[in-house]
Amino acid sequence: MKKLLLMFILLAFLLLSSINIGAEKLIFLSTQFNPVAELQYMKENILSEFTKETGITVEFVPASYADFVNRILAEVKAGKVVTNVIAELHGGFDYLVSENAVEDLSGMPKLPKRTFIKTFVDYSKIRGVTAYIPWTQATYVMAVNKEAFKYLPEGLTQDDILRGSIKWTYDALLKWAENLKKAKGTPAFGLPMAPGGLFHRFLHGYIYPSYTGFQAKNFASKEALILWRYLSKLNDFIHPASTTWSNMSEPLLKGEVLLAWDHTARLTSAITTKPNDFIVIPAPIGPKGRGYILVIAGLGIPKNAPNKELGWKLIEYLTRPSTGVLILKGTGFFPVVKEAQKEVTEGGLKILVDGVTRQSSAPLGRPNLIPSLGGFGGEFSNIYRMAYERIVFRKEDPNKVLPELAKRLEEIFKQVNIPMN
Amino acid sequence: MKKYIPYLLCAPAIIYLAIFIGYPLLQAFILAFSKPGYSFTLENFVNVISSRGFKEAFSNTLLISGIVIPLQLSFALTLAIFVNKRFKGYMFLIYIITIPLALSEITAGLMSYSIFSSMGFLNKLLINLNIISTPIYFFGYIYKFRELIVIILSELWRATPLVFVILLAGLQSIDREYMEAAEVDGATSWQKFTKITLPLLKPSLLSALLLRTTFAFQVFGNIWILVGRDIPVLAGEAYYWQTEIRNSNIASTYAIIIATITLIFAFFYIKTLRSSYLES
Repeated sequence: MKKLLLMFILLAFLLLSSINIGAEKLIFLSTQFNPVAELQYMKENILSEFTKETGITVEFVPASYADFVNRILAEVKAGKVVTNVIAELHGGFDYLVSENAVEDLSGMPKLPKRTFIKTFVDYSKIRGVTAYIPWTQATYVMAVNKEAFKYLPEGLTQDDILRGSIKWTYDALLKWAENLKKAKGTPAFGLPMAPGGLFHRFLHGYIYPSYTGFQAKNFASKEALILWRYLSKLNDFIHPASTTWSNMSEPLLKGEVLLAWDHTARLTSAITTKPNDFIVIPAPIGPKGRGYILVIAGLGIPKNAPNKELGWKLIEYLTRPSTGVLILKGTGFFPVVKEAQKEVTEGGLKILVDGVTRQSSAPLGRPNLIPSLGGFGGEFSNIYRMAYERIVFRKEDPNKVLPELAKRLEEIFKQVNIPMN
Repeated sequence: MKKYIPYLLCAPAIIYLAIFIGYPLLQAFILAFSKPGYSFTLENFVNVISSRGFKEAFSNTLLISGIVIPLQLSFALTLAIFVNKRFKGYMFLIYIITIPLALSEITAGLMSYSIFSSMGFLNKLLINLNIISTPIYFFGYIYKFRELIVIILSELWRATPLVFVILLAGLQSIDREYMEAAEVDGATSWQKFTKITLPLLKPSLLSALLLRTTFAFQVFGNIWILVGRDIPVLAGEAYYWQTEIRNSNIASTYAIIIATITLIFAFFYIKTLRSSYLES
């Protein structure tokens, strides 16, 4: 009996050690796909396939933006780099380049069978260093319930909106929202204004550049005053419960609103659930063009990281067109390689892909990247929300509110030492 | 060896408290009294207390607690006295009343939201009955008063059972002999209530009030789900500063302020409501 037990233990030991022998492991630190559902999807559907294919196990480590930078800098400065691959937004890479904490990827082998969109490749070269390989993109768009097209203002056609013609302006949006309220008896335009919602991105990345030409630079300018007068008028046609919505999918699905603006990932559920009801349209234009936000996430390798070749294998796998489509399906983040965009041929995702393409190819575009303000990011967003609350809800004088908040905004940019844009 | 046994028996609980309560508490204190670049500063407290956000959150928390706690106490007391009559089927009623105890704040919030939202059950019912033609809005910055009513209703429904259970247990522990003696002496029902039930119920009332006030100052999940920051409350502000603005120093300052206010209330209750004659 004892012998049998001993043999069994020995066998189990051998079996376990044989699994470990030759198994290589990568640490993949990411600020992206951290919400539980996305994280699970990454591990179970994306990274597990890579392990099956190559035998390399990947430890996916989610990190907040602040923790990410601290960890990479600490590893690089201590000369003990354990992280093999990193995923972060453009702004984060910009900062790591200034700290000389990422490898220049220009000398790495070519990635076959994929054509990266040129804009993203241009962005990925930061001050002469190829800091990352573009991985996914996201943006914020407007989703329309097709019923809303019945109430378009005079002189504006569905085609004007879809093409993003010069007739599709913020004034036209106001008129449309007004028509919707008249027809439905209640406001039917919604914005994710609850805490946790991304309404501040609409303010600094969409309407501010459209009216003032910049996200923050002209915060208290003459043009900004016109913008705030506009927002005060628009507010009458925004669904009042918007201040309690952090995600517009549900209000769209329930029919509480017919027109909404939100992050693509947060609209995916509505559009994939009822693909026949919704369509995605580009943002309107203002006096200074069509402001919109471009979110670019890239994959990079920390300076002096171990096993660079293995890390590169992971990057090669993650940027394949087929992987891009898988990521889009599970998360609503879009591929950045042309081949992948062609692979999405039908359903809700096709509607989203088309909408995003329409927005980026519409005339007078003014793409913006979210400023990389590190720990001040939250305060930056709060300044825009506060301005809205004070000027639009509390009806305070914008001439007083804007200069007051602009001062703090300037201080933040100065503290982080990046130019205001 | 024998003299160490009590300490050894207490040790697991003390170690648990030290790690999971003591250490975070200490960290919160350190964060509240410091800021990046400063080891000790009172600036966080000055900034928080002088801010409009704090004043609003503080007065809203007081307002909601001031309305909800007395209402809960009187509802729970009435229900407990009623159920304590032990009529046929009273156990069934206890189950029904205590159902919300099993719900988390978030679930309660989501349920209230599905009742009161513009496409919710209530509006659909009223529209189907032809009482209204367009939905009544209960949510939104411009409908703060209605939001407050929904919050109060939701809180009443959710947390009254807790007070009810404590008071019912208190009522059941009152010796029936007192009542019988009072009846023999010819006391009226009101006299029995004010001279026997209430004084003997004081310890339960104290526990219920203490628990409810503590919870009322931490109230957050339900309100956050229903109205976001339309009606800011203290715990909500702490959460907002931590998760949205990512300023742990200010968030900890809010947490310390909530703890201090709760302690003051607890001290006040214990001082005024303690049944000293029971202890002696």
